[in-house]
Amino acid sequence: MTEIERHNYDVVVIGAGGAGLRAAIEAREQGKRTAIICKSLFGKAHTVMAEGGIAAAMGNVNSGDNWQVHFRDTMRGGKFLNNWRMAELHAKEAPERVWELETYGALFDRTKDGRISQRNFGGHEYPRLAHVGDRTGLELIRTLQQKIVSLQQEDYKATGDYEANIKVFQELTITELVKAGDRIAGAFGYWRESGRFVVFETPAVVLATGGIGKSFKVTSNSWEYTGDGHALALRAGAALINMEFIQFHPTGMVWPPSVKGILVTESVRGDGGVLRNSEGKRFMFEYIPDVFKEKYATTEEEGDRWYTDPDNNRRPPELLPRDEVARSINSEVKAGRGTPHGGVFLDVSTRLPAEEIKRRLPSMHHQFKELADVDITAEPMEVGPTCHYVMGGIEVDPDTGQSAVPGLFAAGECSGGMHGSNRLGGNSLSDLLVFGRRAGLGAAGYVDSLTGPRPLVTEAQVSQASKDALAPFEGSGENPYTIHTELQQVMNDLVGIIRTGEEMKLALKKLDELRQRANHIAVEGHRQFNPGWHLAIDLRNMLWISECVARAALERTESRGGHTRDDFPGMDAGWRSTLLVCTTSDEGIDVRRQDQIPLRADLLDLFEKDELGKYFVSEELSAHRAEGTA
Amino acid sequence: MTAVAENPTTSASGSRGELPPAPEGSIAVTVKLHRFNPEVDSEPRWESFDIHALPTDRVLNLLHTIKWYVDGTLTFRRSCAHGVCGSDAMRINGVNRLACKVLVKDLLASKGKHTTITIEPIKGLPVNKDLLVNMDPFLDAFKAVKPFLITYGNEPTQERIQSAADRERFDDTTKCILCACCTTSCPVFWTEGTYFGPAAIVNAHRFIFDSRDEGAEERLDILNDVDGVWRCRTTFNCTDACPRGIQVTKAIQEVKRALLFRR
Repeated sequence: MTEIERHNYDVVVIGAGGAGLRAAIEAREQGKRTAIICKSLFGKAHTVMAEGGIAAAMGNVNSGDNWQVHFRDTMRGGKFLNNWRMAELHAKEAPERVWELETYGALFDRTKDGRISQRNFGGHEYPRLAHVGDRTGLELIRTLQQKIVSLQQEDYKATGDYEANIKVFQELTITELVKAGDRIAGAFGYWRESGRFVVFETPAVVLATGGIGKSFKVTSNSWEYTGDGHALALRAGAALINMEFIQFHPTGMVWPPSVKGILVTESVRGDGGVLRNSEGKRFMFEYIPDVFKEKYATTEEEGDRWYTDPDNNRRPPELLPRDEVARSINSEVKAGRGTPHGGVFLDVSTRLPAEEIKRRLPSMHHQFKELADVDITAEPMEVGPTCHYVMGGIEVDPDTGQSAVPGLFAAGECSGGMHGSNRLGGNSLSDLLVFGRRAGLGAAGYVDSLTGPRPLVTEAQVSQASKDALAPFEGSGENPYTIHTELQQVMNDLVGIIRTGEEMKLALKKLDELRQRANHIAVEGHRQFNPGWHLAIDLRNMLWISECVARAALERTESRGGHTRDDFPGMDAGWRSTLLVCTTSDEGIDVRRQDQIPLRADLLDLFEKDELGKYFVSEELSAHRAEGTA
Repeated sequence: MTAVAENPTTSASGSRGELPPAPEGSIAVTVKLHRFNPEVDSEPRWESFDIHALPTDRVLNLLHTIKWYVDGTLTFRRSCAHGVCGSDAMRINGVNRLACKVLVKDLLASKGKHTTITIEPIKGLPVNKDLLVNMDPFLDAFKAVKPFLITYGNEPTQERIQSAADRERFDDTTKCILCACCTTSCPVFWTEGTYFGPAAIVNAHRFIFDSRDEGAEERLDILNDVDGVWRCRTTFNCTDACPRGIQVTKAIQEVKRALLFRR
């Protein structure tokens, strides 16, 4: 045990995407010695793939925008299941975070008068997404990475050590969180290169590990998305909420097979692209749900006028929230009106001049040209739903990001509540910045509040964690790749975009079998950069989290946002105020119901009572301002 | 079909033993891989795998097929898998490319001859294992050019104003994904690893020509160094290698010109 590498930090951030880096910057600015741990190389995080932009009600393009409008859009998008306090903080603070990013040096497309430009996106009433072409996520990560380099150079000038206050541990995987009593004492992991173990002693851990998409066969997510933070938190005693809600992005590539699932940005639709079926019909007009009827155009003519005259026309239904569009595409394909490769057509070629397409959507132009041999300035794209985002995650205090475990914080996609049952496009990058900062601040505040000696990581804990990590080398069963492939098929087929009770019962049975088999996984070779071993460890996390998704999805007998039940097709107001919470016990995963905290009265009053009546049961609206006069 | 190892001394491990059935329209290809496991190999070696590939497959798919079905220890980096994160730079048939952006149909041998695709790690950086290199020297050069906005006073209350034309001035060099394709294609970098290399200069350029930045002089001083821009011999390898289409050599020339005319 004496050979194990040990480090001591005030705050350890796990994950180096937008949320993790923003949290680390904040903790360092608060004077805390901070470690950033990531599975990939520093700067390669999944955030780089975000294309559309950062939603923030700055009002640079349409001065009618403000935080209240953004808040309303976010709640509508999430079908009022959102944690309203998170949605409020997010809408209020997103503009400050974007401006702050600009002062860090981020590049943005500009308005004519040189301010940050904003673009239209699904579910957002005004042009709201600050962006850089269609590479906004890349610029966000690069800017935060550069900020960290600049902080390290500041520290070097002051102390002679670049890594005095903030150090990046890249290509390192955390396998266990270690507790002393009920609170966090540290984290245990291994260097991917050498396979050697590392112990971090720290009173505060911020999880910012992103999503779970690699449990699904067709996904836009990168290899890191194996639900590590979700699983670490669950096993450490924190609760996961809203796990039944998975966002299937309506437009992923469907052909050729090697690129199936890769994302086609929503900006294509925001900038004028339309969806057509094999009969050439713009089918989205058929699928506007009642709750959105007043907000969306009913004719193609009105929808087309909206791009140039948004004040006097309603937006086209291609810009409905993602859950609605994904379900509609699925229905068209099922009804036999799909494209040759099982998607629908997304056409921008007849909508914008070729030069304009290349200017606004350069990455999409390249992506289709290079990977599918399709020139999007001349022909339509074929697209279909792809697993994109998990709304569910670690239940946290909205203001500080702290979970139920003292010292354990979470931000970004691995946390839950902010987006309710469905996230709006653009609200992810702003979420990372707003709650990344808050979690960093929360962790620093927690460290300051501690008195007495710091919690310790014991030798027995380290020895147990080492044993668990090495278990795959002792197995005599199957190769982890086989089990991973089967898991992806099960989740895709049985817990995917359209669900039924019977299929999910079957999924749970299959997940149980997969878990039995996973207990005997055999990994050959040595510990040095052994991808089979790495997958065996990630696979445990995927199995835990997949079970949470399936159990919660079976329990919720309604359809809402990113959870569609064929056997319960309607939205049920009785379920609106109920959250499903996953925790672990000796028996495995428990799912229980928890009441949603009622919407604060002043926030309730931001909506018309008629609209709320579509989502709430009438007793919940007794506090509404209209109640006295109605 | 099973894989054939040219060097049978180390057996493939984590193997399933059999490949999935060849998909319709696929072609038999040989993937010749640079292998190096520091725990057992004193020298790098070549290993060939015969697999089936669709013309629309990318080289990354071939590597996954080998890893998932034949040799679970094959090591390489990949992340986003469509050319944005810049993790999977490698030498494919002798040129630096991202494995996720090269299609098999563009590598097929002419006149129906059998196709062999040769894959090596990018050159000039230490190889850790198989196709995976130590990126530290590359990232150290990036950090050395102060790749962050430098300003002195006059903080804006909200945002700095930047005209569309000023923003356009350095648009090209902001596309960099730090994949190292350019730097590791540069003959000067191969022989003199102390050279900053094209990627670091591109990232300096991104700030030198940013109208909001006030640190151009500091960066130009750094790049005027003996290991700076004057090492560039304009062979254009970097421009050819860039998967983002950045005019790398042009950017280096612009920095040289800024140095010449700065007084």
